[in-house]
Amino acid sequence: MKVFIDLMWYFKQEKWQYGGGILILIVVSILSLLPPYIVGVIVDHISLNTLTEQIIWQWMLIMFALAVTVYILRYIWRILIFGSSIRLARLLRNQLYDHFSRMSSSFFQKQRTGDLMAHSTNDIRAIEQTAGAGVLTLVDSLTMGGFVILTMAVTISWELTLIALIPMPFMALATSKYGSMLHHRFSKAQAAFSSLNDKVQESMSGIRVTKTFGYEEEDAASFREESDHVVKKNIEVAKVDALFDPTISLIVGFSFFLSIVFGARYVVAGDISIGQLTSFTVYLGLLIWPMLAFGWLFNIVERGRASYDRVRRLLAVEQDIIDEPDALTKPPQGDVTFQIEAFSYDEEEDSALQAIDLHIKRGETLGIAGRTGSGKTTLVRSLMRDFDIQDGTILFDERPIVRYTLDAIRTAVGYVPQDHFLFSATLADNISFAKPNASYAEIIEAARLASIHEDILQFDEGYETMVGERGVTLSGGQKQRISIARALLADPEILVLDDSLSAVDAKTEEQILNHLRENRRGKTTIITAHRLSAIKHADQIIVMEQGTVMEHGTHEQLMSRSGWYRSMYDHQQLETLVHKGGESS
Amino acid sequence: MIDRHKHLLTPLAQGPVFKRLFSYAKPHWKWLTIALLLLIGGTGAELIGPILIKIFIDDFLTPRVFDLQPLLLLGGGYILLHISAAIMNYTQLLLFQKIALKIIQKLRIDIFEKVEKLGLSFFDQFPTGGLVSRITNDTEQVKELYVSVMATFIQNIVFLIGVFVAMFYLNPQLALFCLILLPMIITIMQLYRKFSSKYYAQMSEKLSELNARLNESIQGMTVIQLFRQERRMNREFQEINEGHHEAWYKSMKLDGLLLRPAVDFISIMALVLVLTFFGVTSLNNPVEIGVLYAFVNYLDRFFEPVNQIMQRLSIFQQAMISAGRVFRLMDHDELSPEKQGDDEPLITSGEIEFKNVTFSYDGKQDVLKNISFKVKQGETLALVGHTGSGKSSIINLLMRFYSIKQGEIVIDGNNLESYDNDELRKNIGLVMQDPFLFVGDVKHNIRLFDKNITDEDVIEAAAFVHADSFISKLPKGYNHPVGERGSTFSSGQRQLLSFARTMAKEPKILVLDEATATVDTETETEIQAALEKMRKGRTTIAIAHRLSTIKNADHILVLHQGEIVEQGNHQELLKQKGLYEKMYLLQKGAEKLGMVEEEV
Repeated sequence: MKVFIDLMWYFKQEKWQYGGGILILIVVSILSLLPPYIVGVIVDHISLNTLTEQIIWQWMLIMFALAVTVYILRYIWRILIFGSSIRLARLLRNQLYDHFSRMSSSFFQKQRTGDLMAHSTNDIRAIEQTAGAGVLTLVDSLTMGGFVILTMAVTISWELTLIALIPMPFMALATSKYGSMLHHRFSKAQAAFSSLNDKVQESMSGIRVTKTFGYEEEDAASFREESDHVVKKNIEVAKVDALFDPTISLIVGFSFFLSIVFGARYVVAGDISIGQLTSFTVYLGLLIWPMLAFGWLFNIVERGRASYDRVRRLLAVEQDIIDEPDALTKPPQGDVTFQIEAFSYDEEEDSALQAIDLHIKRGETLGIAGRTGSGKTTLVRSLMRDFDIQDGTILFDERPIVRYTLDAIRTAVGYVPQDHFLFSATLADNISFAKPNASYAEIIEAARLASIHEDILQFDEGYETMVGERGVTLSGGQKQRISIARALLADPEILVLDDSLSAVDAKTEEQILNHLRENRRGKTTIITAHRLSAIKHADQIIVMEQGTVMEHGTHEQLMSRSGWYRSMYDHQQLETLVHKGGESS
Repeated sequence: MIDRHKHLLTPLAQGPVFKRLFSYAKPHWKWLTIALLLLIGGTGAELIGPILIKIFIDDFLTPRVFDLQPLLLLGGGYILLHISAAIMNYTQLLLFQKIALKIIQKLRIDIFEKVEKLGLSFFDQFPTGGLVSRITNDTEQVKELYVSVMATFIQNIVFLIGVFVAMFYLNPQLALFCLILLPMIITIMQLYRKFSSKYYAQMSEKLSELNARLNESIQGMTVIQLFRQERRMNREFQEINEGHHEAWYKSMKLDGLLLRPAVDFISIMALVLVLTFFGVTSLNNPVEIGVLYAFVNYLDRFFEPVNQIMQRLSIFQQAMISAGRVFRLMDHDELSPEKQGDDEPLITSGEIEFKNVTFSYDGKQDVLKNISFKVKQGETLALVGHTGSGKSSIINLLMRFYSIKQGEIVIDGNNLESYDNDELRKNIGLVMQDPFLFVGDVKHNIRLFDKNITDEDVIEAAAFVHADSFISKLPKGYNHPVGERGSTFSSGQRQLLSFARTMAKEPKILVLDEATATVDTETETEIQAALEKMRKGRTTIAIAHRLSTIKNADHILVLHQGEIVEQGNHQELLKQKGLYEKMYLLQKGAEKLGMVEEEV
């Protein structure tokens, strides 16, 4: 029940809703006691032959009014209590989303997307259940149960009530016991299902191997085994699940038996009337639900608590890059200087970057080459303050970048990542992502600069074509160019192309680079690339190796030394030749 | 997704789905009948209880006649009935569940086997995620249909019928009156079904929109942050969240209007009906109070099943949609190429010939144009060419993953299509560029499903490809566990394991798709040595990237845009000073630079 205390802040926040809902619930519980009472009155009148037409109509009118009132009240408390609980779900989901948007990339590397999704869906669902069905069950079973027992004891006979109730605790006990057994077995069945899921996933991904070896039959046989396991575990669940109803009706049957046997003695003794005995059994029927509910309650609350703890833990993760209190909010402009002694990602011993001393004048283009894992991406990402450099600093407009707000830095730097990520929206929306209110002319201009305009016109719906699962499938090169257009539209002070021309053919690459040169005069551009043609014209080129600068100079300077750059360049020249079929030599 | 597969997304219509779901239940008719009989027995036993109490009230209590023997009989009978009802009900509940689970298992196996039979042309195009969710999630939904809906519906309907039978037994006239409850309930059900299907669809649409947005945002958070769109995305998410909330709120209101509160309302009205009937009757004629008692009691039980059924209605609809999707996939006709003709040719020497093969994946663009070549027994043919030159397509055809329409592939003088699948798979070993490892252990990954391969054979195969040195260093050696996709092994180790896997089958023909990436230097030497040994004495077709493979090949085909542009052995080709020479120099350079060859 601790979760109810944990959620108290929300109950307080919605005190009128919950207060009103609970009050109405109580009223409904009381009103539900009336029909059995009326049954008893009518029965007594019949057996005593005192019934008149007027009495019938009078009581029936009351019953009808009651039915209508209860219907309306039941509807209202649902809106009040369940309405609040689903608002809680909405609130928590927004909080989580907001929280995610503050987390840095290291958070998303540590947490699996699937887990984050599970927290935002299943866990929130369980919390919503606790705040809705949980509260309802608690209040309802307590008030309803209490009132019914009280009425039975006060208006009919407390002795008979005690006798009739003897089997009832067993029911609460049994349902709660079954519930925990069920939960236990259910998680096993769940595990079996997810292992079946893994099996299917693997079979589908490895279908080529299976077909190569002709093992379709055998693979299907192993799937059959796996599915046998699932059936077995589910039958275990069914064995407990099937216990609920028979147990309940057995216990209720006993209770009825006891009340009739002993009730009859009281009737004979003249302590109660036959009508009262009849009402008594109807009251007894009303007790089934609260008893059952109490058993359920434990399970709902248990799950709610675990889920709420998980969500709270997630929300408690702190932001790791924080603005300094008096950081500059104006986006910087000007020269960039890297003065990095050493940097390593947390928990790693090897430095990812070391001894980098680099000065880029405003308006210059810097080209970065080097093999995979040499530190190119780490270097350009450090400029965006994706992480803080432990030993050294980066100056932007002669001030360390930590002096600026993250927002200012991100305004100044436009980054086109390696793994181009597009959203499931229209092409226009994707291009204008950084500037949602951009005009069509601006969007087209950016697309032209990124040499994607012509491609877009080829699609049936042009700029309004949807991207993603439900829309067109774009080639890697097209995606890259759209990412470039997206960054260009923001017209950043510094544009960083992180190997973002790799899937674009040589001719288009040249086109884009020409556009950039014309259009970004006076603004800084940083390009990392495997294909050296992309950085050949840069004002300065560095070749990175193991996190540091191995070669540094202009294309001509580097070509005159016989280093890595030179041999790589020659190699790629040859490669181009081969690609063209070897004939253009 | 390509047009050919688009129809798989729309579920089959409800009618045929229902028929097929029913046909899945048919084989279980014996047990289903038993379950149904038990259900009827259990329900009957439970419903006789109130009648016994009625007899007690009317025949004993009201006239104050208390003979011990009939009373004991009555009481004993009541308890016995309840116990037997409990036993029967437990058994039938379990039986229904078991049958449902068996049915679903069958459905799952059927769909899985069906999918495994589909050709690679299907897998190369259809997203894996979609397949997995058809086979597991959708069938799980259908399980709900059988387990809860079928069982709940049948059980509750039998119970309702039982209640009416009992009521008719007690007082036909009043029971007839109570029949008017049925149209009321059915009306509410129809109303609920109509609205809930609409609201439910809305809600699930909003939910999937919400989840999609959440998923996308988590994956693209870096981009969102880079372009400082957190606030806008937050706002948009809040809007979607709000939309979902509204749909949810609406369906909650609908539930409030038409589910429990409405059923409770009807139940009070039913009570009014019964009481009025008895009251009015009693004004002129004597009535039995016991009958009244029994009626009130039955009415009490009448409405729980109704509630149960109504709550399952939305599950029912969702499950029908899922079933529709599953059957749609089951009907999909894009099978692997199968053996043609009745001959049972065997692969003996492993001679391969391509005769004027032209091939296209989509029927529009030819990826192979009039390809002819011949590889003699024990010879090695190297295929070189850039991405898109058609190398992989040659292998796809030779492996009979796709069927050809123009030209012919001949192995040992017989058409490729005349071979039995087993014969083909046993004798042609394909080593893939990106080796796929299965969850299990090292041994399983070498042996796979072949029971004829003993532990000794496994070790022998591993030793043959020089994989034993690293395997023996693993803490558990050949029993060392392999995780998802073998991610704990280096790419070189994965390569060696896949070599061993192929060699354990001792194929007559070896098809190599060499990895483009040069692996770590330690394993590279071992891989080279292994490759050389594997090729010895086997007809080999290799998509070659390694110079050693290319140089040692007996014959080299240089492919460009689906055509053979040059061929000959290494020396001859170098002399031609054509495309091959450039590629050779390129490869030499790449190996000297020790770099990963980029797919440009």
